[in-house]
Amino acid sequence: MLTTIKSELKSFEELARSFAVKELAANRKANDRYPFGPFFDSVIAKAYEVGLLGITLPEECGGIGQGMSALCIILDRISAVDASLSGIIFTNALAHEIMLSAGSKDVLKDIMERAAGAGSVLIAYPAFFNPQESPLKLEAEKTNGTYSLNGVIEYVVLGGLADHALLPARIQGQDGYAFFLVKRDNRQSNRRLSMSAPIFSLGMHACPAVDLTLAGVEGTLIGKEGLGARYFDHASDRMHAAVAAMQCGIMKGGFQEALSYSQERFQGGWEIINWSALRMLLADMAVQVKIADMAVSGAALAVEQQVPQWELFARAAALHLSELACKLTTDGIQILGGNGYMKDYGQEKRFRDAKQIQALMGLAPLRKLKLVNSMVKG
Amino acid sequence: MVSSQEVRSISKQEPRFDDSLFSLQAMPKLPKGMVKETKKAIAFARKFSDEVVRPHMLDVDRQTHEDPEYLPWDLIKKANEWGFYTMFIPKLFGGQGFNMPSSASVVEELSSACVGMANVVFVHYLGVAGILASWNVSLANKIFREVTEGQKNGNPCLISLAITEPGAGTDVEENALIDRARLGCSAKKVEGGYIVNGSKIFISMGHLSTWCCLIAYTDLKKASENTVTFAVRTGTKGFSFGKHEDKMGQRVCPASELIFEDCFIPDEYVLSDSRTMSGSGTRSIAALIEQYIHFVVEVTRPAVGAFGTGVARGAYETALKFASETEVDGKLLINHEWAQAMLAEMYKNVVIGRLSYTEANYANGLPGGIYNILQRKPIYYYQKYAPKVIFDRLVSPFLNLKITSRIFHKLFVDSQSIEDQHRCSGWASLAKIVGTDMGVKNSQMALEMMGQAGLRHERGAEKFLRDSKLLQIYEGTNQLNRINLFNNLIGCSIPQVREFEG
Repeated sequence: MLTTIKSELKSFEELARSFAVKELAANRKANDRYPFGPFFDSVIAKAYEVGLLGITLPEECGGIGQGMSALCIILDRISAVDASLSGIIFTNALAHEIMLSAGSKDVLKDIMERAAGAGSVLIAYPAFFNPQESPLKLEAEKTNGTYSLNGVIEYVVLGGLADHALLPARIQGQDGYAFFLVKRDNRQSNRRLSMSAPIFSLGMHACPAVDLTLAGVEGTLIGKEGLGARYFDHASDRMHAAVAAMQCGIMKGGFQEALSYSQERFQGGWEIINWSALRMLLADMAVQVKIADMAVSGAALAVEQQVPQWELFARAAALHLSELACKLTTDGIQILGGNGYMKDYGQEKRFRDAKQIQALMGLAPLRKLKLVNSMVKG
Repeated sequence: MVSSQEVRSISKQEPRFDDSLFSLQAMPKLPKGMVKETKKAIAFARKFSDEVVRPHMLDVDRQTHEDPEYLPWDLIKKANEWGFYTMFIPKLFGGQGFNMPSSASVVEELSSACVGMANVVFVHYLGVAGILASWNVSLANKIFREVTEGQKNGNPCLISLAITEPGAGTDVEENALIDRARLGCSAKKVEGGYIVNGSKIFISMGHLSTWCCLIAYTDLKKASENTVTFAVRTGTKGFSFGKHEDKMGQRVCPASELIFEDCFIPDEYVLSDSRTMSGSGTRSIAALIEQYIHFVVEVTRPAVGAFGTGVARGAYETALKFASETEVDGKLLINHEWAQAMLAEMYKNVVIGRLSYTEANYANGLPGGIYNILQRKPIYYYQKYAPKVIFDRLVSPFLNLKITSRIFHKLFVDSQSIEDQHRCSGWASLAKIVGTDMGVKNSQMALEMMGQAGLRHERGAEKFLRDSKLLQIYEGTNQLNRINLFNNLIGCSIPQVREFEG
């Protein structure tokens, strides 16, 4: 990526690239069979060992303490091979960002210190949702300074894996919402927290999610009451750069596979790359990939350096690259013809994953509208 | 260089858009009975969708993910009981004889519920078209009557069409390219028949069909003039099934690999053979083979446009329901103006998909088009109202005479001018591109409107997206169809145009 002009980031690119090649590439199809095949626990364990589950978490909390550029570089390289792991890294990082935004460094430090493996580090979070968009079905009841959570929260990513879940809930009698951290202990000991079977989704099958039903589960308030939207918006602004990076990686992977295939597949007496209409499709893809790389690098830099309107750069990059990635992956299948539609190749998964990622952090059209809202207000 | 005068003359040639309103040309001559019959077909398909398809499609799709080898025998039996496999076979051949353009409306109807299931029904008609377009009336009569028999005795008799090969997809759809193709399916003439070797891939419903309309080549280097079409029965020695493809969508409808190893096919199962064709003043042998391929795709490509239109409609209906019952940002989604604009766009996409395939079918109904003869009023009404026994007892024996095949050949093959072929084939491609692009587009838009909810399998929206993508690929990729549109509707009247130069 362009961002690796900063030479200290090159090592992250190399780390992610080699991790993707060694741990993800060979089993892409098998890993994507989840929930109808086994989950890739060993890959998550290795991802934890090499530090992929705490990239932006400050060192004082037990993380790697890197900025948005490093996270973007890693997500880009991983997504080029298998975006499911990116989805896991992203969800966990989004939960970190919300908690950091709420000033909960101590809680994160505590989690990291007690960690005994990937499961105890990961924090589940409903990543495809902006709690402000739809009425929350999860309520918190406050009694003597403690909070008891009741209701349903859908599509909690990593809900079946992680020891902790960060959940938005409305506090009874109050406007707005707040975030609560729920521990797995509760789920095991008192059965007040029940979990659906893994949700079968369009894409990123190996980035699993469940619906949670809570009946009197104790939650730890994260930050202050009623300020959930503020924390979410801040974290979401930053993490839009990461969304852009995931889409960028998918685009690169899709382009590369199309480019290779078009130089090998014969039709009409020569390699299909020699047909100018097909070459035009590849050219469009090549342009989109380069634009994507620039957009991600720029967005990550804007977030890191807090340039004026940094959040608009990040959001614009995510929105635009999501549209581009959905288009590019459609053409990516097309270049492979019938083969592109089969699970033996990577293109159909990229097509599904790109559309899935477009839905992260809320409805895409509303996120687009918000871009203008913030400009008018600003 | 083209002079300015020549440019002016080109601009007056095809496409003459005022001549392209096939509906206006066709409608006055069409039997009124077709309208009522089409409405009846749609209502019937809707009932099947509501009772059989919608209640089960998501469970079945899930099942195909749990077990990638799943084959939809139960659904085929149901479709067979309902009579879908004989519905569009002409009465002449023992079928129900619904008018053929109405099949597109039925396709749309079923596809709006599940395009995979629509394929489980309609891929059979791809096989029917492959057999019919050979104009081997005797063999067609035998096989189509087996289909009817299969409906009566509860043992579905389906037909698949096998053309795509591992090394040749686009190439085998286009006779101008086929001599440059890496073909592998050879037919060698031996006494009493042919020996076939090679394989075919991505053959929809291959595993489940009783008959396969197989296209093979007596000269792999010069296939444009050396093509044989066979009817091969499943179970024939030397014919077996290989891989069941693991597809992204349309999973209820399997895509099969067909393997032929020294498979002997007797002469009586040859549908058409380039060795016995004789070129005419209008068409060389290569052009006759090309006409055969185009006869098939003139029927099937508008149908794929209807598949796409059906998906576009299903995605639209799913999004509309969601928007009508989901609160977003303080009010119902459907009351956000941006959502209304998106729904309007999706509605429009369905309509233009439908208009396109309807117009392509009108093109097929004009003189020289494959539907024309059966839509002439006396023939249409005779077919519709003459007692079945007349076809079965009196007409059927005549179909076995060689002279009958020759008459059909004259009526359909010889009477289709090159211009008719251009019209029908060009519009078939147009309808295919429009409908399938609309299918993908609306599926994407539905997911954008539904966000997290749309991603879940049980909501059905994501399935539309997975299913829709295949439509842009089969029956010729949309890229090939664009070139076919250009060649047939634009380039054909411009002398300096060269096809397939890269």
